[in-house]
Amino acid sequence: MKKKEEKRKEATLTRRKLLTRTGALSGILLTGCDTQFYRPPIIRDGLMGVADILTMASQRLLLSEQQLVQEHSVSEITKDFPVWNQSNPEDEEYQRLRAGGYREWRLPVTGMVNQPVSLSLEELKRIPRRTQTTMHICEQGWSAIAQWTGAPLLSVLEAAGGVKNGARYIVIDAYGGWYEGYDMFDVVHPQTILAYGMNGKDLPLGNGAPVRLRVERHCGYKQIKFIKSIQVVSSMEGFGRGTGGLNSDYGFHWYAGA
Amino acid sequence: MNKISKNWIYRHSYNARICHWVTAVSFVYLLYSGIMIFLQFPELYWGKVGFQGYPAIFRLSDWGLSWEEADALGDRRWGRNYHYLFAWVFVINGIIYLGWNAWQKSFYRKIFPTRGELSVSNFKAEFVRHLRFKAVDRKKAEHYNVLQKLSYLIVLFLLFPFMIISGFAQMPAFTAISPELIDLFGGRQTARTLHVVCTVLLTLFVIVHLVEVMVAGAVNQVRSMIIGKYEVPTEISEEA
Repeated sequence: MKKKEEKRKEATLTRRKLLTRTGALSGILLTGCDTQFYRPPIIRDGLMGVADILTMASQRLLLSEQQLVQEHSVSEITKDFPVWNQSNPEDEEYQRLRAGGYREWRLPVTGMVNQPVSLSLEELKRIPRRTQTTMHICEQGWSAIAQWTGAPLLSVLEAAGGVKNGARYIVIDAYGGWYEGYDMFDVVHPQTILAYGMNGKDLPLGNGAPVRLRVERHCGYKQIKFIKSIQVVSSMEGFGRGTGGLNSDYGFHWYAGA
Repeated sequence: MNKISKNWIYRHSYNARICHWVTAVSFVYLLYSGIMIFLQFPELYWGKVGFQGYPAIFRLSDWGLSWEEADALGDRRWGRNYHYLFAWVFVINGIIYLGWNAWQKSFYRKIFPTRGELSVSNFKAEFVRHLRFKAVDRKKAEHYNVLQKLSYLIVLFLLFPFMIISGFAQMPAFTAISPELIDLFGGRQTARTLHVVCTVLLTLFVIVHLVEVMVAGAVNQVRSMIIGKYEVPTEISEEA
């Protein structure tokens, strides 16, 4: 019980911190009760769309305090963490960056931010980091535990001067052609981090080097690897089929909390 | 001719009939979509973690279907979409059914066994009658028998809720909403395994249920679940 209280306290503190930061992030609404967080970018036809909204709205209501996900002990870390989807992007630019030890890797943060920036890996590592040992749950059925270290996504947006009014989604592009969209409800969660470390070491190639996303309340396919750029947008129109990500373009749920 | 009209008894309310068929359709879709999902990861584990290469407690490949063959048969993109759609149909329908029957107090009247029914001799008699595939007489045809009552109770209040809760315990959002629930199962993979075990139990129930319907007279039984009225066998009613 004590643990739970502490966790809740931590979550509340982080929320308060977020609220005091709203000067820089005035475009972000922080409550889970906002109906914009109850629906995916495109509502599918018929009953499928109704089911999507029911799932998303019910879970977002239950998550409205931005509770943290369970963290596990270091002794529970899984050896041989599985590698799925692309493990080494067939992309000329990526291979060039990889050969150079990612020293030339840059993360452009653009779109509806006040001061667009392009961060190097070193600059990203200078942002106060967060380390969390969490469970990765894949929609296929498997699960594994790993420790992730990275910069909170919210801090990265702050480094870009905060987001403008009307900003609704962030779109992350990855080397190899993947892209995925997230709404601000997930962006402001304290455990949403751009991870450059795994189990105390640099993020391995197969797990998305140099930087991948951890958005802990979702299935594995939302944890995009090999990050190339971040854009803040008001709508997912114009990205792929407009559903909000490559997985949902392909017919999977955009909201992957279930 | 008058006699014939007397041979009909009203057995199933509107609510019971509609909810029965919605549940039946949901069950078929949930089972089929669940199989489509499972086939693309046809192993079961125990505890918090599990993945290909981790010690499994069940492997479909041990039963003659390799990982690649199973993967080709499954379709989790279709499966996941329909599994969640019909999970909602099932849950909403279940809430309506439970709410209606709680309000009408019909669980108390129809499904909870009476003290007399729970006697050893009654159990024995019902068990023997079932083994002989004998239909019931008129007086008893108006009520569920004790084995029926108990199996309905187990399905309604044990297996169905267990399916829903073990489903929740597999969802990533529940690592934040209620990690206690996942711990209660002993971990995410255990919840997944028990979800499958419970699926097997429910499927067995459905098979026995269908056999019983055949034994008791398929046309009469299915018709009563559609129009509500059940025809009591003539020669038995004349005896009474």
